[in-house]
Amino acid sequence: MKTNSTNSQSAKSTAGGALRPPRIPIGNWLGVLPFFVFSGLFLIGPVLILAYRSLQGPEGGLTLDNYGQLATNTVLSSYGMSIKISLTTAILGGLIGFLIAWVVSMGGLPPRVRLLTTTFSGVAANFAGVPLATAYIFTLGRVGLITALFKWLGVDLYRTGFSLYSFLGLTLVYLYFQIPLMALTILPALDGLKREWREAAENLGASPFQYWWQVALPVLTPSILGTMILLFGSAFGAHATAYALTGGLFDLATLLIGRQISGDVLHNPGLGYAVAMGMVLIMAFLIFFVYSPLQRRSERWLK
Amino acid sequence: MALNTNPKGEKRMKARKLLFNLLTLLVFASLLAACGGGATEAPPAATEAPATEMPATEAPTEAPATEAPAATEAPADPMAALYEAAKAEGMLTTIALPHDWCNYEAVFAGFKAKYPDIEVNELNPGAGSGDEIEAIKANQNNPGPQAPDVIDVGLAFGPSAKEEGLIQPYKVATWDDIPDSAKDPEGYWYGDYYGVLSFEVNTAAVENPPTEYADLLKPEYNGQVALSGDPLASNAAILSVWAAGLSTGATGEEAAQAGLEFFKQLNDAGNFVPIDGNSKTVGIGETPVMIDWNYNSMLNNVNLAGNPEIATNVPTKGSIAGVYVQAISAYAPHPNAAKLWMEYLYSDEGQLAWASGFCYPIRYNAMLAAGTVPEDLAAQLPSTEGAFFPTIDEINAAKAIITEGWPTVVGVTVEAPAP
Amino acid sequence: MTTTPASAASATVTVQHPVTRKRLSSWLIFGVVSLYFLIPLGATFYWSLRGTKDVLGFEAYRKLFADTNFLPAFSQSIVNAIAAIFLSLLIVVPTAYWVTLRLPKLRSIVEFIALLPFVIPAVVLVFGIILLYSRPPLLWTATYNSSRVVLICIYVALSFPYMFRSVDNGLRAIDVRALTEAAQSLGANWPTILLQVIFPNLRTALLSGALLTFAIVIGELTIALYMAQHTLGPYMSDLTRSKVYEPSAMAIVAFAITWAAMGLIQLVTGGQAQTTAGH
Repeated sequence: MKTNSTNSQSAKSTAGGALRPPRIPIGNWLGVLPFFVFSGLFLIGPVLILAYRSLQGPEGGLTLDNYGQLATNTVLSSYGMSIKISLTTAILGGLIGFLIAWVVSMGGLPPRVRLLTTTFSGVAANFAGVPLATAYIFTLGRVGLITALFKWLGVDLYRTGFSLYSFLGLTLVYLYFQIPLMALTILPALDGLKREWREAAENLGASPFQYWWQVALPVLTPSILGTMILLFGSAFGAHATAYALTGGLFDLATLLIGRQISGDVLHNPGLGYAVAMGMVLIMAFLIFFVYSPLQRRSERWLK
Repeated sequence: MALNTNPKGEKRMKARKLLFNLLTLLVFASLLAACGGGATEAPPAATEAPATEMPATEAPTEAPATEAPAATEAPADPMAALYEAAKAEGMLTTIALPHDWCNYEAVFAGFKAKYPDIEVNELNPGAGSGDEIEAIKANQNNPGPQAPDVIDVGLAFGPSAKEEGLIQPYKVATWDDIPDSAKDPEGYWYGDYYGVLSFEVNTAAVENPPTEYADLLKPEYNGQVALSGDPLASNAAILSVWAAGLSTGATGEEAAQAGLEFFKQLNDAGNFVPIDGNSKTVGIGETPVMIDWNYNSMLNNVNLAGNPEIATNVPTKGSIAGVYVQAISAYAPHPNAAKLWMEYLYSDEGQLAWASGFCYPIRYNAMLAAGTVPEDLAAQLPSTEGAFFPTIDEINAAKAIITEGWPTVVGVTVEAPAP
Repeated sequence: MTTTPASAASATVTVQHPVTRKRLSSWLIFGVVSLYFLIPLGATFYWSLRGTKDVLGFEAYRKLFADTNFLPAFSQSIVNAIAAIFLSLLIVVPTAYWVTLRLPKLRSIVEFIALLPFVIPAVVLVFGIILLYSRPPLLWTATYNSSRVVLICIYVALSFPYMFRSVDNGLRAIDVRALTEAAQSLGANWPTILLQVIFPNLRTALLSGALLTFAIVIGELTIALYMAQHTLGPYMSDLTRSKVYEPSAMAIVAFAITWAAMGLIQLVTGGQAQTTAGH
């Protein structure tokens, strides 16, 4: 099936010198087919249903009303807040996560520390949701440990205007899973930085800074960018943590959706689905018009 | 891939593209076909209902159970026939019934003890009324364990669910004991229990528990007062806002507006904690004063067993009562089990189980008159004197004002701090 | 720093200083970040010890383990997680490989699909799934176990962002083309290339992906809830709503057991994590 012409092909390629794709068109598609079938069944299918339901009004007929409502202040501010938080935690989480990954893989620490970190990162990412929110209430809530510590030091955190249930608070909480996410995902890329490159750079007289700026970072940029988009998406779609923290009183898109679909009161699922479609479109925009061009540009630097 | 100079490669490329497009179309087409017949289907007849179905959805017997049988093959005890039918179905699926809400734990235990051959499948205890409605809608044709048979929702959801065709009528044996104001005349929905809003107070964190809404504004409760839900989405939270307004002496829609003003004041004073309170946040002292149903507060106190002590204070001004209603899903996969469940809930045993959870069962007055309420249970139920029992229309009117006004009047949503 | 031919003694002397400084700053960074992660855990642990009034003890843990629902829920989640990881690896690795090597034009689409799980809210996703597969001809939700299979498949789809990103990063780090060419010129066919050349070189990436997938599945709440599955997520949520101290005990226990599971996964994949690559 896939393997018929490979052998004859390989002879040709070594003879010709250039890499020629094996003449197995079907084979290529078979490699990605499971992915598309799976996505079709379990992602795209529901999205289609979602789109369909977003066109339904409260009484059941087809309408564009829900999309009209997307332009209202409440919805726009929800989107705005979600984007703001996602951007902030993606960048901050990206930086700190990268730092940790670097420290643990190349910082001269004993290898056991790396094992510890990867294990813990997996667990920390798992903590997201209800346990994380509760842990933070115990830490920085009005009766939290750190709050008490500050009080003991003479500073009443909450009177200074700080609140766990704010933009700052939510950012702090989100970072708890953003940082490990970045660290874990970027580690393989860091591992790929070959020692030879560093040594070659040193032999040519480059300082560590120059090495990083002109060799390592350009190589890493596509991976870093890709992972940051991952972080953005992860914060953008986060619901459980924010909900567990405040029960829905935040001004976030995901919470708005939850309110519409499952609330006791507002209950306009059509609007909820429209907001959800809006999120899909935002992500699509980001991927196709921001991320992909950046990727292509950075890849050009490589070869 | 140097394909530019390779015409054969170009053709291959086009062929691949075509293939890809066809494949995609195939996948999407099959998906659309699958969900094509989907969206709005006629309600399916209760599918697997076995032959010996309980006759008539109206069981007009005056006294419970052991009376003369209704038609067909039913033996002396109509409950027995229903039990057989339910046994054949084998399962009951409930939703949104936390074990510590009106002591549903005891209700479940009693039901399982009495009808051991029916497996009880509990869905999503944390669901809100809206969730329950959505669950029925989403599982319209689903015979599986995700489809709820019965729902327990806020009063206003009864009529709307009936209108959307999501529930089916059934009148329990003790139907006549249910006050008219709390049931649908055709039997689609029927009140099950009620309680009054109260202040749930963590006495370890609060020295001087508040007794009236006006108290909440005092500086000693700075950073301590919370609602039990989101006032844009939760029935109890909305009624709390309304109640605060009622406590000022206003009535009806004006009270709703007054309630909004009250919470604006509360928030400006720094007393309001803008999070969803629950028994945990009260227990650890994060929201040491919470406005919630008396039954939740009292049961929480029992469960915490003094660690810490929870006080339940029902205000005299602005006391508001909330009624919940039961209904059977029109698409219930196990309709007979559902009916059996209803019969149990409205039997003395079921009603008293709720009472043990500090809820007023809907048949309370009738049972009190019949002398079937044990004295100790009656004693521990809080007074509902002076409590306002709003009608569905009044609730909807207040709801509209509060949900619309909350973001602007009280304006408690989180924003980025000013730079 | 530079490898100039100097005497051994002076070379070690000049080399040590920067290395120690680097190591010190590494430890500093590591320490500060660790603090950020450990404090909330510590707070949780502290609260879990307050099950009895005025005394620090393990009452909450006792109550937790006395609950007959806890361990079955946990084991169900673990099994689901392992199944999801396997399936996800089988699907994502060939996909990432083919997209990188042969079908670069598909990259944008695949990336977009791989990020879809983030923007489809879980509640919307599960309702969509139920609507699609709760009636003939695709009646897959009729029983608990068939629903469980559907659940695992959903988890596989949810793992795509993490799995794809990890594998993609890993593929970039190794020279896929060269490896493939070399293998091909040695006469390997596609399955051999994938299984014996690509997979082993992707160990770190696969490990990362597996760990993250495990994390998603183990405590997942919304979808399991609506699919009527008795896994850890719904159990935790229920506990949190009603109890005050047990949830903290549960979080700590889940933490410990997940840690053990993670450790096991690392062992099984050969403990690749020790070696460090370039500087």
